Amino acid sequence: MNVDTPILSVRGLRKSFGLTEIIRGVDIDLGKGERRALIGPNGAGKSTLFHLISGNLAPSAGTISFDGRPITGWTPQRINRAGLSRSFQITNIFPKLSVFENIRLAVMRARQSQYMFWRRIERVPGLREATDQLLERVRLQGQASTLAGEMSYSQQRSLELAMTLASDPKVILLDEPMAGMSTDETHYTMELIREVTSGRALLVVEHDMDVVFALADRISVLVYGEVIATGTPDEIRSHQGVREAYLGEEVA
Amino acid sequence: MRTPFILTGVALLAALPLLVSAGLLNASVQMLIAALFACAYSLLAGRAGMLSFGHAAYFGVGAFATVHAMNALGGSGLLPTPLLPLVGAVAGLAFGLVAGWFATQRSGTVFAMITLAIAELLHALAPQLKGWFGGESGVSSMRMPAWGFDFGSTTQVYYLALAWVLMALAALYFHSRTPLGRLTLALRENPHRLRFLGYDMHGLGVSAFALSAMFSGIAGALQVISNESANYAVFDAGVSAGVVLNCFIGGVGSFLGPALGAALMTFFGYSVSDQTQVWLLYQGMLFVLVMMYMPDGLTGLVSATASLVRRHGFARVLPLGLCGGAAAVLVAAAVVFGVEMLQRLFSQDYRALARLSAGPPPIALFGRSWTASALFTWLVPAGLLAAGGLLGWGAARRLRALSPASATDDEKHASSSESTPESTPVLGLSEQVRA
Repeated sequence: MNVDTPILSVRGLRKSFGLTEIIRGVDIDLGKGERRALIGPNGAGKSTLFHLISGNLAPSAGTISFDGRPITGWTPQRINRAGLSRSFQITNIFPKLSVFENIRLAVMRARQSQYMFWRRIERVPGLREATDQLLERVRLQGQASTLAGEMSYSQQRSLELAMTLASDPKVILLDEPMAGMSTDETHYTMELIREVTSGRALLVVEHDMDVVFALADRISVLVYGEVIATGTPDEIRSHQGVREAYLGEEVA
Repeated sequence: MRTPFILTGVALLAALPLLVSAGLLNASVQMLIAALFACAYSLLAGRAGMLSFGHAAYFGVGAFATVHAMNALGGSGLLPTPLLPLVGAVAGLAFGLVAGWFATQRSGTVFAMITLAIAELLHALAPQLKGWFGGESGVSSMRMPAWGFDFGSTTQVYYLALAWVLMALAALYFHSRTPLGRLTLALRENPHRLRFLGYDMHGLGVSAFALSAMFSGIAGALQVISNESANYAVFDAGVSAGVVLNCFIGGVGSFLGPALGAALMTFFGYSVSDQTQVWLLYQGMLFVLVMMYMPDGLTGLVSATASLVRRHGFARVLPLGLCGGAAAVLVAAAVVFGVEMLQRLFSQDYRALARLSAGPPPIALFGRSWTASALFTWLVPAGLLAAGGLLGWGAARRLRALSPASATDDEKHASSSESTPESTPVLGLSEQVRA
């Protein structure tokens, strides 16, 4: 972990919807290869923060820099190409296309073949191999020809993870990857995330405290649009403000 | 896998001039053109999921560019008659790029309205710009001989159109297999996700729009070559509506569905327009019925039937098919009878005649004369309708008995609530908002 030169740096970020200020001056530094969990009660602004960082929403004030470059106000596709990839709280895949095709679409972007119309897709060099490799990494090789929408929920989340990884990003944002999963599925997905994100910086929103404490190197606590604490799992556990604001209800 | 079918189809098309009369061959040229136009439209509306209501614009621009090229070059030099559709392609592509750049800034309803506005703009402007569009009378031209053909006979025009349509369809199919084509499909399925995979949505939308316009331009060019003239009526909203109807009746979910729909509807239009004055009404009714009960179009019906046959065997599906087919024929006969009677009854001629004579004069229809006030006259359509309804009800029951859980729309009498309009792209495909 190299905290001195953060890969993602958020400074004084604010976002208002009308008169309501949802994000009220957030500072976050994500180190290279760091696994950071973002926790906080419902309505704290975690998803909004993700939308701001990934370019889905434009901030009202503040700056976001990625790998030393300011990316504030960039379009989602430009941010993705720079090396920041995200998943969504609600599964966001191509449900009527096959699993293989879903991943292939994601892989294709990294290979600059958006406007390739002179070659059959099967003939694009390396595309099939890269797609198969990703399928294997998230252990969906048996489902390659299944329609994505017909898989189980946790398999769809695995697929989404593969799509997020396809661009070989430096930073991955995962929005509640385990939401709605059984205990077994949660454990499985957590191990999968740990495995496939190694060497990349990860920012993950998650409600399951067992997952958060097991997965994250450090934790930031967002309450009413402000980061009230950042620290290692142990520090956060014993942090008085956090206990009062949030953990008190869930972890006795 | 479908190669034998395709080869048979192409062989049949190639042999057509030997099989049919000159009049029918002329209609076949129109069917080919309509089929290409529908497939071009389906690239945008079906594959990319963007419903354009103004595709006549690109068809028309291709047509006028071609007619001017014919007149300017006289079919000589670099652009002999067989290569003229290239002009339509270039014009369609260029105009499609500009129009598409604006239209695809938005999606869903707004997109549809922009395309409609562009076409209506052209339709309103064209009669004013006499130099370009020839005013009310249009621009005419002559097909010049080239490459040893004189293009004087319908047969030669037919082969020219056939060659271009087949090449264009092959190119459109190839497009669906390329990375760009796969992305176009993904654009329909989930544009939001594509943005977060790093793709440029606007560029993708413009590419689908411009390519669709390009192939529409080729269709327009072929029509000019066939008619030897172009009139601003090609920009009419009816042309834009026609391609939408053809496409969806055929089924946008499959590649050849739109071509099939367009060919069939053009053929019906050709064969029926002499017999009835209300062809447009039938066209509209057909469209509403298809959309309500077979949202996947005619090709959806075919594939649903095929899957039924696969699951239950031909012998068990045959009575169902016969039953349903007979029901459809009976109901159609009832509707046609009723509509034609009413159309004649309410026509101005008939009312004038009725005022002159003492009682209601008889109406001639289907080689018989009918009395409008006689009960028997109206018992005919009522009886047909009842018989058709009964058969349809029987077919629906049989279908349910065959596959209790399946949601196939084998017959138009199958309950609409069972249908799953899966591959039908809808107007408001998830609109994305970026604050």
